Amino acid sequence: MENQINNVVESFEQDLKEVSDLKQLEEIRIKYFSRNGLFAKLFDEFKNLPKEEKPKYGQLLNTVKKNSQQKFEELKEKLSAQAKKFEKFIDLSLPGREHRIGSKHILIQTIEEISGIFKGLGFSVYTGPELESDANNFEALNFPEDHPARDMQDTFFVNENFLLRTHTSPVQIRLMKEKQPPIRAIMPGKVYRNEAISAKSYCLFHQIEGLYVDTDVTFSELKGTLVYFAKMLFGKNVKYRFRSSFFPFTEPSAEVDIWWEPKGKEGRWLEILGCGMVDPNVLENVGIDSEKYTGYAFGMGVERMAMLKYGINDIRVFFDNDYRFLSQF
Amino acid sequence: MKVSLNWISDYIDIDDLSVDEIVDKLTTSGLEVEEVIDEAKNFENIIVGFVKEVKKHPNADKLSLCVVTDGKEEFQVICGAPNVAPGQKTAFAKVGAYLPSINLKLKKAKIRGVESFGMLCAEDELGLSDNHEGIMVLDENAPVGAPLSEVLNKNDVILDIAITPNRADALSHIGIARDIGALFGRKLKIPEVNLTESGKNVDEFASVEIENENDCPRYVAKVITGVTIKESPEWLKQRLIAVGLRPINNVVDATNFVLYETGQPLHAFDLDKLAGRKIIVKNVEDGYKFTTLDSKERELKATDLMICDAEKPVAIAGVMGGENSEVSDETKNVIIESAYFNPSAIRKTAKRLGLSTDASYRFERGCNPEITEYAAARVISLIQEIGGGEIAKGTIDVYPGKIQRPVISLRYARLNKILGFKVEPEKVKEIFELLEFKILESGDETVKVEVPLFRHDLEREIDLIEEVVRIYGFDKIPLVEKIQVALEEKVDQTAFNTKVRDYLTALGFYEIVTNSLLNEKTAKYFGNAIPVLNPQSIEMTHARTSLIPGMLGTIERNIRVKERNLKLFEIGHTFEMKTDGEIKSFDDIEETDKLTFAVTGNKEESVWYSKDRQFDFYDIVGAADELFRKLGVEEKLSDTYFLEPDNIFDFRIEKKYKKKIVAAAGKINSALLEKFNINQDVYLFDVNLDVMREIHSDTRKFNELLKFPKVVRDFAFVFDKDIRYETVVNEIQKSGSKLLKKIKLFDIFESDSLGRDKKSMAFQLEYYDENRTLTEEEIDKEFWKTIEHIKSKLKAELRG
Repeated sequence: MENQINNVVESFEQDLKEVSDLKQLEEIRIKYFSRNGLFAKLFDEFKNLPKEEKPKYGQLLNTVKKNSQQKFEELKEKLSAQAKKFEKFIDLSLPGREHRIGSKHILIQTIEEISGIFKGLGFSVYTGPELESDANNFEALNFPEDHPARDMQDTFFVNENFLLRTHTSPVQIRLMKEKQPPIRAIMPGKVYRNEAISAKSYCLFHQIEGLYVDTDVTFSELKGTLVYFAKMLFGKNVKYRFRSSFFPFTEPSAEVDIWWEPKGKEGRWLEILGCGMVDPNVLENVGIDSEKYTGYAFGMGVERMAMLKYGINDIRVFFDNDYRFLSQF
Repeated sequence: MKVSLNWISDYIDIDDLSVDEIVDKLTTSGLEVEEVIDEAKNFENIIVGFVKEVKKHPNADKLSLCVVTDGKEEFQVICGAPNVAPGQKTAFAKVGAYLPSINLKLKKAKIRGVESFGMLCAEDELGLSDNHEGIMVLDENAPVGAPLSEVLNKNDVILDIAITPNRADALSHIGIARDIGALFGRKLKIPEVNLTESGKNVDEFASVEIENENDCPRYVAKVITGVTIKESPEWLKQRLIAVGLRPINNVVDATNFVLYETGQPLHAFDLDKLAGRKIIVKNVEDGYKFTTLDSKERELKATDLMICDAEKPVAIAGVMGGENSEVSDETKNVIIESAYFNPSAIRKTAKRLGLSTDASYRFERGCNPEITEYAAARVISLIQEIGGGEIAKGTIDVYPGKIQRPVISLRYARLNKILGFKVEPEKVKEIFELLEFKILESGDETVKVEVPLFRHDLEREIDLIEEVVRIYGFDKIPLVEKIQVALEEKVDQTAFNTKVRDYLTALGFYEIVTNSLLNEKTAKYFGNAIPVLNPQSIEMTHARTSLIPGMLGTIERNIRVKERNLKLFEIGHTFEMKTDGEIKSFDDIEETDKLTFAVTGNKEESVWYSKDRQFDFYDIVGAADELFRKLGVEEKLSDTYFLEPDNIFDFRIEKKYKKKIVAAAGKINSALLEKFNINQDVYLFDVNLDVMREIHSDTRKFNELLKFPKVVRDFAFVFDKDIRYETVVNEIQKSGSKLLKKIKLFDIFESDSLGRDKKSMAFQLEYYDENRTLTEEEIDKEFWKTIEHIKSKLKAELRG
């Protein structure tokens, strides 16, 4: 009898070890504790024992069954708690359902940022056609015909008198023809240059030009305004310089460089824009009295600004429109 | 242009100035130094080595094992040159030297198992010539261990300067020296020319006649006889090489030297090749064929100015000489041309011929008519110095109308008004004098100067103002601290487009910017395209007529990099010709601001929460509805539907404003997709933004929030399949009273049980009154009226 009892206990404990859920546990209950279970069978055997052995085995049998039931209950409790936990479980770490805000092209974002700075200074924003007349794009801007200054801007011509504008300056001409001073405006837009496509140049790019014409416009104000702009765009510690240059439509003319020192690289001066006092010839060409009024103008390439700001070193990437690029901005 | 600082120092004292100081001042004053080439730097760690021993390399027949000394230490060096021999002094590049011409940084190396510490160099490896015959053998007096740069006199600093088109005067060493002088307050030293003329008078050797005085205002010539054509001396060759020129022979080199010294282009003719020993400056007939020095035959035009002898043209004036009168090794007698040509005449010819030479580059920018005589004397004396011969007495100088120097007044008040601060009159005058302007009158309010003719760019008061600030320094201009803003209406012509962009990005679209130049076939497919006269490539010959090809091209490129699910838009101009002939005015051009947006691929990429769903037509329509609603244009547009394909879409909606098509949307047809190698559906909306901008309006008005409950009724009908949603909605609206506020389609389905030509549509109708609570009875009445109306009007069957 003792052997039989030990066998049942041993097998019960072995089975209990292998249980991992409530369903298996229920099978154990049936196997050991049901009416026909193994413990019931032991009690049946017990009934057939000789009288003198009964007290000894009766006590043992009761203790063993009680202990086993206790172990069973403990495991049941544990497994129920576990089961409850899974029932309530939500994986809060799953990625959310997709909601995507698109984005404006980084060139447009750059134009908006730059425009914003100048709008804050009271500049209006004007646009104009990209297919322009030679008169608006060159002549009125003091580029004489057959002058080497025309070589400064390689031009796509449509015919002798029409072309794809090489700068947004013709918008200045249109504006000045239409409106008497004071004029304070910027002109963003696409411009075209007949240059081979490479990492450094593309057949088109974006420009923002500015114009201010009034009775007391000075170079000193131009300089102050552009330094303010550079600080707003590149940070208040930006190091800059103005150096003399030449544009047919401004005099005196200058270019503005900023000191550029990317981490771990040697610093150098980088041109960011051209500027100057509107040439009296240009004012006269549009019917503005150049003795009474003076003006300043400036212009910058948007691609160049974006390349500097975002560390882009191949201009073509702007026009490839690779989604992997677009979605970065 | 490359200039040598050694050369510059012939004309101005710069010994006490650092290269950085010079570069900085030149750059900020308008002569932008783009590159500084320090010759000595290229010779760092390269010295005069003495070859002590030469043995055979144990493992290679053609290599030698040498022992080289710098006077202190001995180095083992492997050398492959056949001429290496003990006792030689040679160029020895030590470990650490960098040879730019072969892009080699010398390190300790093992060559066929034997260590080598440096390299013995041939001339080409040092960038001195093309010679690679053997290592460079130096003069036996060269001091062992001395830097090679010292022994070879390679101590020059070359500046590469970008000269703006107005500054023709700066295209020479004297010109640059003059600016350095003005910037540092120093005087220029122009070399004196002392000629030894002998023998016959120049008139007896040659004569010059100008037929076209307009294009050739001055022609100076000098003659030298009995010259020996040979290689130039080392100093001259070095000067030319330093500025990037190739030495040819002593006469040609002398003309190039004086060109780079004074900026005056010169040409040397073989006098004996000139028929009649005569020079005539004139135009020849259209179509004349002429072979230039570079052995190319060129067709002339009647407008090209030519230098001719008694019989034929011998040079294209100011551009390039002819083969027929070139100085050769046999040349004995030379006539030098030093002329002043009209800038625009030279530019026209050079441009047409596509021929830009040192001469044409300077003539078209404007040379100095006052320096022609000096330059001729300077070059002839140099030729004599290096080639011998006899200089004919006198100079031919044909100068029919002397060109006057411009006289310009500057008002100090104007100067200060333009600059916004005061420059002292004394400072102004000092700057003018340093720039060699002659002060004619000087008052309290104005100063009057005469400007030398080398400054072609100075004609007006404003030009003088620029000179003042250029030399005075832009960095000294004070910054204003505040500005005034006129209180007038501000305009933002980009505001509407910004709004469109804001809405589309909020709808999840990404903006693209594509090339506005297309190939002919593509451009013409979408409209009457405008060609570009001088395209960059055959892929970019026409201005775009539509944004669609740019969009499809972008989709194609993205699919190639496995980005197949896209929502994209572009805003940009398109161009069409409105005439069959030539564009004569803006009326012949239709330039339109357009918007195109498109969806393609799956709405969502494979995600855990839903099955892939492909974008379809209703995605693009839904986005457009929201966009147009936000822009306030929705109600001004009317729709027309087309189930038959056109050249762009398989099926489409056209939106019209006052009979004009202002937008179209649909599924891009497969033929077009095929052209762009796209193998997935693309749904696209193409919109005329100019019209939208014109008709959009801010119609927003606040509606009182509803105080009374809404009543809702549903019904479903079975319709014929070809009944449109739009029709049903219109009929429901017609049948309802003003209490009917909203109609919503909430289900649509087709099934076999309904019948193949049937479909079911279920609607929800919303009723309310702003002023009272509606009763169930009145709505039931109205609802049933609608049901009866639909039943009879659309032959529909009520399902529930």
